[in-house]
Amino acid sequence: MGHPVTTNPFIIMLINMTVVFVVLYGLSLLIRLIHVIDPTKNAEEHAEAAAVPTAAPAAPVVDNSAVVAVIAAAVAAYGCSEANIVTIRPAGSPVWTNTGRISGIQNTVN
Amino acid sequence: MEVWNAFIVSIASVWADSGFTGFTVGNAIMIVVGCVLLWLAFAKEFEPLLLAPIAFGCIMANFPKTGFFDDPGVMLAIHYGITNEIFPPLIFLGVGAMTDFGPLIANPSTILMGAAAQIGVFISLAGAMLLGFDVKEAASIGIIGGADGPTAIYLTIKLAPHLLGAIAVAAYSYMSLVPLIQPPVMKLFTTKKEREVVMEQLRPVSKFERIVFPVVCTIVISLLLPPVASLIGMLMLGNLFRESGVTDRLSDTSQNSLINIVTIFLATGTGMTMSAKDFLNAKTLEIIVLGLIAFIGGTAGGVWFGKIMYWISGGKVNPLIGSAGVSAVPMAARVSQIVGQKFKPGNFLLMHAMGPNVAGVIGTAVAAGTMLAMLS
Repeated sequence: MGHPVTTNPFIIMLINMTVVFVVLYGLSLLIRLIHVIDPTKNAEEHAEAAAVPTAAPAAPVVDNSAVVAVIAAAVAAYGCSEANIVTIRPAGSPVWTNTGRISGIQNTVN
Repeated sequence: MEVWNAFIVSIASVWADSGFTGFTVGNAIMIVVGCVLLWLAFAKEFEPLLLAPIAFGCIMANFPKTGFFDDPGVMLAIHYGITNEIFPPLIFLGVGAMTDFGPLIANPSTILMGAAAQIGVFISLAGAMLLGFDVKEAASIGIIGGADGPTAIYLTIKLAPHLLGAIAVAAYSYMSLVPLIQPPVMKLFTTKKEREVVMEQLRPVSKFERIVFPVVCTIVISLLLPPVASLIGMLMLGNLFRESGVTDRLSDTSQNSLINIVTIFLATGTGMTMSAKDFLNAKTLEIIVLGLIAFIGGTAGGVWFGKIMYWISGGKVNPLIGSAGVSAVPMAARVSQIVGQKFKPGNFLLMHAMGPNVAGVIGTAVAAGTMLAMLS
């Protein structure tokens, strides 16, 4: 092992925090770049757009009142009053939403 | 008479070779410490999967004359795996396979909270140097604030191997105490209005992004900081197994069987470094106190950067997710979720907190690599 470049803790802090911020900021830029050049992005958007018209006609046939009542009761169980419930819509990320729901229910029960 | 003499000589020989002749008060104290850690693991369920093997390793480390580290055998093999940095990267392989990088990719600005939370590492480093530790020891103590056990062990082995036991125990103990340490700091530095911010749903992340990000991340960080290439590389390889969709068996092994096996070896081996002569001194107490300061500093740094993002975004970012920047995946993110829900039931911060949480793992590895480059 060689000798340390510096033994001044404040210089070590300054250099390290600068490097950490620059590297992570650089990664955030790369993430944005990956999103921009993503060749599958448009295909997925088209697939979502194409899925909407096929789903729409089925909506009036189904009676969702019982489901809405259950969801409203679940939301109310979290402590919200009826005045807080403005809309109920499906979440975009089922895995994380389910994780959050499970965590929320556990906290309420405990 | 001859039989009697042979019997006496044999008994004396067994006694002379037994551990009792080399047993010290320090060994007895450390065995009691090991039993207390076992009780915390089993009765209080403080990180039992880690604490139980650490505690039993601590008990075994205090039997004299075992020759664990002298004679070839399983204990020497475990010790070799720790001192030659084999186990920490393998743990990272499993962590990568278990972790969803989606929230980070969906909202890359949260990555900076993971950077800000590293301030605790350097607050503790400065404190350690003020207490008389040399710069390499101080860097190893400071990395406890990264709340990342494998990285702490990795850096300590390279810079201050004689402090491994105290640093590993402090790191894993505080990781298990994250739900107790973080909430008071989070509440202290945030207002009620800030804690009640509901963040927007994250955008869906494509498979292309999920696969390209680990590859790009490995290339960039490994070229920039070669000393931590094995840590980052294995973390990202594990994540690639998870996201590729065609390596399910490898992903399953990495996040279940392999990480469990390596955890047994790493934790037992860490406990084996807790012999009385290495552990029972004032430095251990100082390291434990400095580790706590590092954790508190890291949590405060993340929350304060969260407040800055709250102001910049016009109130769209909940500062509570900043505390997850200290790593400790996924416990720190869960703490953000729990504290957020206490103030606004139905507010789901978990997915948002996973962004800084994953960034914290990468940030701690970058900080460790930078310190290795500067100090070794």
